Amino acid sequence: MNFTFLHNYIFRKIDRPLFGSILLILIIGLFNLISANQQDIPDTLSQIFNIIIGVSFFYLICIINSRIILSFAPWTYLISIALLILVNSFGIESHGAQRWISLGIFNIQPSETLKISLPLMLAWFYQKNDYKIYYKIHFLAGLLIFLPFYLVLIQPDLGTSILILWVGIIIIFLAGLPIKFLTISFFGFLVFSPFIWNSLLSYQKQRILSLIDPFSDPYGSGYHSIQSMIALGSGGGFGRGWLNGTQTNLDFLPETSTDFAFSVFSEEFGFLGVLAVIALYTFIFYRCIWMTSKMQDNFSRLLSAGLTVSLFSGFIINLGMISGIFPIVGVPLPFFSYGGTSMVVSLISIGIIMNLYLNKSLIAN
Amino acid sequence: MDKYYIKYVLGNRLRFIFYFFLIVFFLIILRFFYIQILQNNYYSIQAIDNSIRILPIAPARGLIFDRNNIIIADNKLNYSLEIVPEKIENLSMIVGELNKIVSIEEKDIKKYKRILKNKQFSNSIPIKSNLTIKEAAQFASNSYQFPSIELKETIKRFYPQGSVGVHFIGYINRISKQDLIALERKDLQKNYIGTDHIGKSGVELQYENELHGISGFEQIEVNSIGKPIRVLKTSPAKEGVNIHLTIDLKMQKIAENAFKNKKGALIAINPSNGEILAYVSMPTFNPGFFVDGISHKNWNKLNQSNDKPLLDRAINGLYPPGSTLKPFVAVAALENQLRAPPFKINDPGYFSINNSRRFRDWKIGGHGEVDIIKAIAVSCDTFFYGLAIELGIPRLNKSLANFGFGKKTGIDLPNEKKGLLADAKWKKKKYNEKWYLGETAITGIGQGFTQVTPMQLALATSKIAFPNKSIVPHIKLNSQSLRQNINLTAPLTISEQTIKWVKKGMENVTADGGTAAFIGQNIQYKIAAKTGTSQVFSLKEGEVYDEEKVPDHLKDHALFIAYAPAENPKIAVAIVVENGGHGGSTAGPIAKKIFNYYLTSESH
Repeated sequence: MNFTFLHNYIFRKIDRPLFGSILLILIIGLFNLISANQQDIPDTLSQIFNIIIGVSFFYLICIINSRIILSFAPWTYLISIALLILVNSFGIESHGAQRWISLGIFNIQPSETLKISLPLMLAWFYQKNDYKIYYKIHFLAGLLIFLPFYLVLIQPDLGTSILILWVGIIIIFLAGLPIKFLTISFFGFLVFSPFIWNSLLSYQKQRILSLIDPFSDPYGSGYHSIQSMIALGSGGGFGRGWLNGTQTNLDFLPETSTDFAFSVFSEEFGFLGVLAVIALYTFIFYRCIWMTSKMQDNFSRLLSAGLTVSLFSGFIINLGMISGIFPIVGVPLPFFSYGGTSMVVSLISIGIIMNLYLNKSLIAN
Repeated sequence: MDKYYIKYVLGNRLRFIFYFFLIVFFLIILRFFYIQILQNNYYSIQAIDNSIRILPIAPARGLIFDRNNIIIADNKLNYSLEIVPEKIENLSMIVGELNKIVSIEEKDIKKYKRILKNKQFSNSIPIKSNLTIKEAAQFASNSYQFPSIELKETIKRFYPQGSVGVHFIGYINRISKQDLIALERKDLQKNYIGTDHIGKSGVELQYENELHGISGFEQIEVNSIGKPIRVLKTSPAKEGVNIHLTIDLKMQKIAENAFKNKKGALIAINPSNGEILAYVSMPTFNPGFFVDGISHKNWNKLNQSNDKPLLDRAINGLYPPGSTLKPFVAVAALENQLRAPPFKINDPGYFSINNSRRFRDWKIGGHGEVDIIKAIAVSCDTFFYGLAIELGIPRLNKSLANFGFGKKTGIDLPNEKKGLLADAKWKKKKYNEKWYLGETAITGIGQGFTQVTPMQLALATSKIAFPNKSIVPHIKLNSQSLRQNINLTAPLTISEQTIKWVKKGMENVTADGGTAAFIGQNIQYKIAAKTGTSQVFSLKEGEVYDEEKVPDHLKDHALFIAYAPAENPKIAVAIVVENGGHGGSTAGPIAKKIFNYYLTSESH
């Protein structure tokens, strides 16, 4: 297969409704960013740059051979772990946590790369041990999850670490971990939760507590939650209109371009706008699961499902966070929030799913 | 376990994950529906509360001037440091920090706590007032350390004349709970949201509505840290109206100084139009005490003093009129065809009812042959005892009421007292006792139950000077509108002959042989007057009043009424000097100083 053939093949075979939906969300996100940043041009340009990089990666991933992905899988994991150790030692500190590492012209966030490399590693791991799935393998998979989970937790980044843990557990679950073991683990977690609670930092405890009643400490940790709900609630059914959100323009909302980007959107476009965007995400989710179900081999299915779960868990946590269901844990909304690493990682994830779907019989044979 | 097993499990579990996520998506949509649709109203109000502030703009209070444009109540720019109590957690810590920049004393903190206890609106409260420019600048350059403290530039009431005229000027104080209830009753509370002070007495209270002005407001949008972003709406305040008084401040000062350390009251009035020229109640106090909220110590000192400085003696002081009532009693008799000249009595120095009880004249041995003119001039008690008994209380009171006794004069100041014209009915009700003839006799010389205010005496004196004019005493210049609201005392219908005789009697008071003859010496104009002495305690029958033996606070009150020039009256006065002894000798010279100023100085 030469390049031209591949190119044409991709454009013919690519799931256009899926890609179109993603493009739509990207564009809505860009317009929202303009409002969220109070029409700050440099940030908008920088986000356009992020999108271009992300789409390029998406395209590149689509055209490569699936076997390359398979063979790269353990290396991406090792690199992510190395980067995590590096960032924990030398990273750039922001909001009291070391999350970024400088790569000259741009900073990357190793915890974000784990959203790809962990599913890759687990899928590879289960593929390698295809004929000997038993407790030992699941236990080893558990260790593969725990290492990055712990490294992200001590950054400290509670939100992303829980997301990593969650994605890992779902992959093990999909790989066939017996239900009774899951039940035992769940009760084990309940028993050990007081110890976990004690190991949390005070600001993390505060955030979880403020979830129970955000109005108990309106100017402390509940503040962001309340301001976000005010933004949502005052948007009503139809919203205040683009650029007219008062909560945003008067700086009541924190982190309007990243974690709370969708609060800005909800205030300006109301419940109708929210419904439309959630519908788009739901459609993307459906397409991803549908493609996963068409795949032939365990590596592809586990990886594709893991990436899908990773993307949409971020979606759930972000929307739950801004609507006061979850504590404020700092998880961006995929395709929507400002941020290079998140954008590129999300598009690469979709790219991998698309690649695996297009080459669905390649690895199995 | 082969890979087909895994595939089977994976397929089932993928379906489970798919539906699980769909359910979660649905729950999120429900959550958004709840917040955005069902709770929309609640959060919309929250958003407005978040971002809209309405700031009242307090109007500048109107100024008060005397008749010659001398300022009596002024506004002064004042820098103060104010705290919004809800914003601070630890007062002493903040004060400790603040103390490094601006000295905060114990009394400042006490004052802050006192205001905090009584405050009505959620305004900020001064922790330190009257900052010097230097202190204000020092704070301003360090203000970033004190986000909860605000440097406020406010307009503060200032009384440049100090304690002069405090009783008619009144004072302002912080709005109290009672004030607020009163404002709410008049539906004015909205106008006072940005205002800290309200008139509490005198002109400051009487003309509160005019002086206060109309408060404005500013609707502003603020950001998350409360920083104003833009003004949405402004409605400027309309400042209070300046008020000119009829008072002549120079005369006021002369009058107050003339009292020296004595207690008492003085009213100087233009008898032809009712304008109050001087309004004295002694002792005075400093109205500035109240502007910042009076301290307990100062309040107790003022309130518990035996000298009662807070009492406005001019309209709230009730005194037996003593002999100053005699000209009015004379009018009553003459108008009832009694005692008209040439009627004379031969005064033995006492008057007796039925040859049993004797009523002494003030002059032992009596005045000899006395007609009604001489009776006024020498203040012959014997003449008036008999006159009163023949005239009777009903006819006497009716005539006195025409002069304004026993009812409010209608002066435009709050809480005026109306005095008392007693009769048998009143005594029955009050003491359940019958009226004795002797009481009628002493009523004729202004003793007994009769009580008058200095303001009433001044008005009645004006009516002798101008019987055909119906005047209302007033303190605000050109207050025409005032007159429509007041039941005017009808012009007296006194015969010219009557008034001529009474005037003659009063003129003779300052002539040779009169009770205040020395007042009439060395002046170019003629004074018509009447002296009076009112007993603070009653002598037993047969007891002789000896000024030397009586303690100061039981000494007689000295009274004096007069108008001048006698032929063409321009000014009338009524003076009470408490425990001043004989009227002519203590109160008279005060009147003379006033007349000399008013009638001989260049400006008049």
